[in-house]
Amino acid sequence: MAALCVCRYAGRSWLWNVPLATRRDFWSRSRKEKEPVVAEAVEEVKREPVLVCPPLRSRAYTPPDDLQSRLESCINEVLGSFPPSNWQDISLDDGHVKFRLLAHLANDLGHAVPNSRLHQMCRVRDVLDFYSVPVQDRSKFDELTASNLPPNLKISWGY
Amino acid sequence: MLRLFRAASHAWVRPPVSRVLNSLAEDSARPAESSEPGVRAGLLDPVVRKCKHLIPAHRRPVQAWVESLRGFEQERIGLAELHPEVFATAPRLDILHQVATWQKNFKRISYAKTKTRAEVSGGGRKPWQQKGSGRARHGSIRSPIWRGGGVAHGPRGPTSYYYMLPMKVRALGLKVALTVKLMQDDLHIVDSLELPTADPQYLTELAQYRHWGSSVLLVDLTHEEMPENVVAATSRLKNFNLIPTVGLNVYSMLKHQTLVLTLPSVAFLEDKLLWQDSRYTPLYPFHLPYNDFP
Repeated sequence: MAALCVCRYAGRSWLWNVPLATRRDFWSRSRKEKEPVVAEAVEEVKREPVLVCPPLRSRAYTPPDDLQSRLESCINEVLGSFPPSNWQDISLDDGHVKFRLLAHLANDLGHAVPNSRLHQMCRVRDVLDFYSVPVQDRSKFDELTASNLPPNLKISWGY
Repeated sequence: MLRLFRAASHAWVRPPVSRVLNSLAEDSARPAESSEPGVRAGLLDPVVRKCKHLIPAHRRPVQAWVESLRGFEQERIGLAELHPEVFATAPRLDILHQVATWQKNFKRISYAKTKTRAEVSGGGRKPWQQKGSGRARHGSIRSPIWRGGGVAHGPRGPTSYYYMLPMKVRALGLKVALTVKLMQDDLHIVDSLELPTADPQYLTELAQYRHWGSSVLLVDLTHEEMPENVVAATSRLKNFNLIPTVGLNVYSMLKHQTLVLTLPSVAFLEDKLLWQDSRYTPLYPFHLPYNDFP
């Protein structure tokens, strides 16, 4: 059908008046227009890589073997001085010191003190006891919800 | 005090700060330029919020992390102290039940109405004589035992279930609900509700990454100060709801799994809820103007 139309229009005089170079330009114009658009789209995508969600983490935590030495080094960094012999009795009443220590430990060990137990951390000994208790993901349902589910699958676990 | 100041100055100068920065940069997987100034600001200037109201001597304040919604990784940018009388009261589940049922019922008006034997049309005349016809004796064809007759003890007209619990009970309900949310790790405090995009996907991913729960209630101070991105994102999401602090209520807190409060809204709540504990009984209702307080 298209070939027949082309043959019909080939007889027209206006087509032969147009030089061949411009006819090629006329038919290839659509190709040239697409290239700059593709480049712009690629640039826009590159401008926003920041909002990619980091991989989901599990809430499981096992205390490392060198927990005490890590805690001592944290105290060293936060307080600036070598921890004294009674470092377990250092009180965490000051907000800045407490924040720095707990934030540093959380980033280091990947396990943070939950809001409900923050007020119980009065001394470094309490922090040590908290971090020496392992935490497990409770059930397979929690593991499933942490993994990448398709958006139309919902798991609700009602007690 | 001097020792702490010296320690703080040591922390400024020493390389451990850069070591921590490097570890944090590895964790976050964000480009180094944007992470370093933000992380540096968070490390050197943690947002420490102190309670303005007097805390009784026998009680210690409760604490919570101050988080930020600007990035996925910004989970601990400060520490907030919360008043124990508001965020650490006794877990009165009976008060929660009372207030939640009150919220559900006080607005209820049931419009159900049925006609009694007097209102159903007809039935004024005795259908047949008292004696001699062999049938049971009846006085009208619209009595309740007849088909098509009136209803004897049915709903009568619009009934209102309005009642008001005492103001202090409702305030205590809010305090108990806040306590329960905090103690069950469902309360998160945020410095402000500013988001980097208005994309609802960002908010859902953030909540999933931080293990918040399937439904989140976001509370800002007033309608006028809410950032546009949050308003746009929450308007397109069913399980993320945004309310001003004035609209906080026990039913919504129990309905949503997680509660996210901003620091100004925490201050507002503490103000309003603690005033109820130490106020005088009103000489005239509070909705009329007083010159002592707004």
